[in-house]
Amino acid sequence: MAKFTALITLQPGADRAAFARNIGDTTLAQPTLPGVFDGGDLILHRQVANEAVPSDAAIAHIDSAVYEPIGGGAHEPGLRNGVYRCLLLAVKPGTPEATVRQFESETLAMPHYIGTIRNWRLSRVTKASGARVWTHVWEQEYADIGGLLGPYMTNPYHWARVDRWFDPECPEWIVDTRLCHSFCAFERSVLNP
Amino acid sequence: MTAVQIIDDLVARPGEGKALLDAYMADYAPGARARGMVLDRVLVSPPLWMDDQPNTLTIVWNVEGAAGWWGMRLAAGADPSATAFWETAGARLVSRARRFAAAPEDVETLCNG
Repeated sequence: MAKFTALITLQPGADRAAFARNIGDTTLAQPTLPGVFDGGDLILHRQVANEAVPSDAAIAHIDSAVYEPIGGGAHEPGLRNGVYRCLLLAVKPGTPEATVRQFESETLAMPHYIGTIRNWRLSRVTKASGARVWTHVWEQEYADIGGLLGPYMTNPYHWARVDRWFDPECPEWIVDTRLCHSFCAFERSVLNP
Repeated sequence: MTAVQIIDDLVARPGEGKALLDAYMADYAPGARARGMVLDRVLVSPPLWMDDQPNTLTIVWNVEGAAGWWGMRLAAGADPSATAFWETAGARLVSRARRFAAAPEDVETLCNG
């Protein structure tokens, strides 16, 4: 089933919490945490392909995607009071399909090596808007922020293996350097409630 | 802290090995040093400059652990000259690879942060 995520950037001075409370029917509507990179002020997520975002003068920019999962898993279904992380990325046009599949396969192997990833899902985008024509959404859940900022970043499987797809200095580079790296707190698991 | 090696394996077009290495040292190495990379060694294989067959250059840099690696990576992302060098060098290259490695005794430390 299709999913929808929007990373919403608000005008300076807008009340993020108030905006999140009034956004209507969503699975998740949470202010982002410090440290996001082009990740917006709010993450809005729905488990259905309802891409409607209420029109509001407080909105400055939206990066969003409707997407179909191609893989995922759960080490801790029903996780509560954790951290949800979403990466929107755009594989460069013309990348051979076999290369894209290898990139997807290696990305989906990250939880095998990085234990702090408790639940995860990789998806291909069917409809994108924002700064790039996003092609993939890579979502993970962690028990706490330390799992993302610590082992996810420091494990060699990330930086010495998967990152070469993202690194313009590596000949395997296929992912546009403009990414949306966003994360927020949640009460109930988004990926495996 | 644990040493991490950044290894560039460059296969030069026949007759271009010496010029490729000179360009790497003149146009890439200064920026790499500024990004925290410490040159460990340069190897030329086979150890003569050939004009009708490819030389392979292996250039090994060190950084300090995952933090040093990310420091290098983020600095390179903000430095257009890093990717500009590779675009220019392409004319002298048959192929290249960039690998990241560590001593076997450091693997567990790197994996467990």
